[in-house]
Amino acid sequence: MSNRVLNVENLTVDIPLATGVLHAVDDVSLHVDRGETLCIVGESGCGKSLTSLAIMDLLPKKAIRRLSALDLGGESILEYSEREMSDVRGNKMGMIFQEPMTSLNPSFTIGNQMIETLHRHKNMSGVAARDLAKKMLEKVGITAAEQRLGQYPHQLSGGLRQRVMIAMTLLCEPELIIADEPTTALDVTIQAQILLLLKELQTEFDMGLVLITHDLGVVARIATRVAVMYAGQIVEEGTAQQIFENPLHPYTRGLMGCIPVPGKTKRGEPLGSIPGMVPSLIGEFTGCRFADRCDLAKTVCRQSDIRLRDPKTKIQGYRCVHEVKDLANNGVA
Amino acid sequence: MNEVMINAFDVTRNFTISRGMFRGKQQLKAVSGVNLTVERGEVLALVGESGCGKTTLAKMLLGLLPQTSGTVELCGQQIADVPRLELARTVQPIFQDPYSSLNPRKRIGSIIALPMKVQGIDDEETMRRRVEETMDLVGLPPRLFTAFPNQLSGGQRQRVAIARALVNRPQVVICDEPTSALDVSVQSQILNLLNDLRNELNLTYIVISHNLAVVEHIATRVAVMYLGRIVEVADTETLFSDPKHPYTRALLASVLTPDPNMDVPNNQLGASYPNPIDPPSGCAFHPRCVNAMPQCSKIAPSGSTQGEHYVECHLYD
Repeated sequence: MSNRVLNVENLTVDIPLATGVLHAVDDVSLHVDRGETLCIVGESGCGKSLTSLAIMDLLPKKAIRRLSALDLGGESILEYSEREMSDVRGNKMGMIFQEPMTSLNPSFTIGNQMIETLHRHKNMSGVAARDLAKKMLEKVGITAAEQRLGQYPHQLSGGLRQRVMIAMTLLCEPELIIADEPTTALDVTIQAQILLLLKELQTEFDMGLVLITHDLGVVARIATRVAVMYAGQIVEEGTAQQIFENPLHPYTRGLMGCIPVPGKTKRGEPLGSIPGMVPSLIGEFTGCRFADRCDLAKTVCRQSDIRLRDPKTKIQGYRCVHEVKDLANNGVA
Repeated sequence: MNEVMINAFDVTRNFTISRGMFRGKQQLKAVSGVNLTVERGEVLALVGESGCGKTTLAKMLLGLLPQTSGTVELCGQQIADVPRLELARTVQPIFQDPYSSLNPRKRIGSIIALPMKVQGIDDEETMRRRVEETMDLVGLPPRLFTAFPNQLSGGQRQRVAIARALVNRPQVVICDEPTSALDVSVQSQILNLLNDLRNELNLTYIVISHNLAVVEHIATRVAVMYLGRIVEVADTETLFSDPKHPYTRALLASVLTPDPNMDVPNNQLGASYPNPIDPPSGCAFHPRCVNAMPQCSKIAPSGSTQGEHYVECHLYD
């Protein structure tokens, strides 16, 4: 069990609004082992970012978080105070966000910000800290590292800034990295390079990686395990192979049909689509949240909450009333 | 020979960059010496990394931005000489972000009707009828006629933007990243819609996108841009099956198809994108090119054509 870096059980995030309570995340359980990449995939508003913020205890003030367990590296951090959490963040738990320009401070040099991290968490300063910062910049493929340390974030390109973010995250040798859409703001060519870098560093440092994205192409190439989220719930989880080669939940199957794949989808022919819209998550909700858009919906789907269930493989779980054989033969894909 | 809709010859656009009070001004060549022909009924895709001049080129083709030198012709007429109203009737844009391209204080009906008002149609009855027709065409329910943009989802907003572009039945539609702000399930709906509309209304599209999977799906011809120049043009099948320029190859290698048995590709594009104010000598791509030869850093390649396949690289001289 010492391999488990992150364990989250029954996470629920509620946000009270004037019109009612928004159940943004509902009963999400996750775990990540060392050297493993868990991808959380879903469309905007499905709660994937809130899930990551809840793990880091960075939710907006008015959001209410409920959890039955939150363990980092075998230790429960559920009851940690704000001060203790801030010791953990950026130290044992690294974070990479979507837009590096907004997560770097524009008025300090790269070197300053990297050394500050070391000062805060590792009690290092002076030449030792500067050398380590330089070493890390070289590790993430930045040339002329010495010079870069003296530069400000605005002097770097988007790809370089994201590399700096990764270098900064690695400084304290975290056990876990949570990356929220790390390549969405980048060009495809740079995206491929950053993902390759993340993957190599993950193997080298033997870290757990939680990658949040909406891009199924990214997921397929980098994930060990995948959790598909829809309307605040995990609707399916399994290994990358299982999810891409044998998707079970009608939503996952629909999603797979939507993406144009060069060489696979025919040009000019219509792509698959999922009719309808994501339901409002304000107020109480019973039944399957995908029922209104599902071809296979029956009355039972709407009567009671559907639990995430494990078919005989015990690894691939899905949240649907239908049996595996019915799903594999029907549906969109 | 198909009818030529847009013909651009040796088009260049420079921007003047100020470097502070006491230093001189500099020229940034956003687009330099581009030749491009768009025929009726075709879907031409412009692809390339951010900052390569795709949008600047599209703005010149729309007549929104005058070119520094060269000529742009629309149906055989100089674009600068085409009266603005006629230009707006012929060419219409669809922009990337449907959240910022719609006026939040106007109702959907009046947003879609605005291009007709511009054209001098002021008969309420005609306007309402045509707006409703167009809404039906793009799949918007009529009840949204009186709604405001903030009541609509991203996909519906993009449909409004498409309806607004199509209400005067233009011949050319320029789509600047039409789906990159949308979720995948909505993206597929919009791509299907664009395809249907093209067949129904015999439209010509110029699609700007960085998503090559989308381009492969929708385009008939692809032009690859790098640092203000078009480095390769071919019809979609040829470009995807037989890419010639090393940059096109790297770009194609970076596409992440959803296949869990494949690894993250290594596109071997080492150095980052060059500064367009100070472009590399010779072939602008040579610092990142895996096939770079000695002459690449000295002489700019002149470009060669094989049939319909144009490529600008010393490998094919």
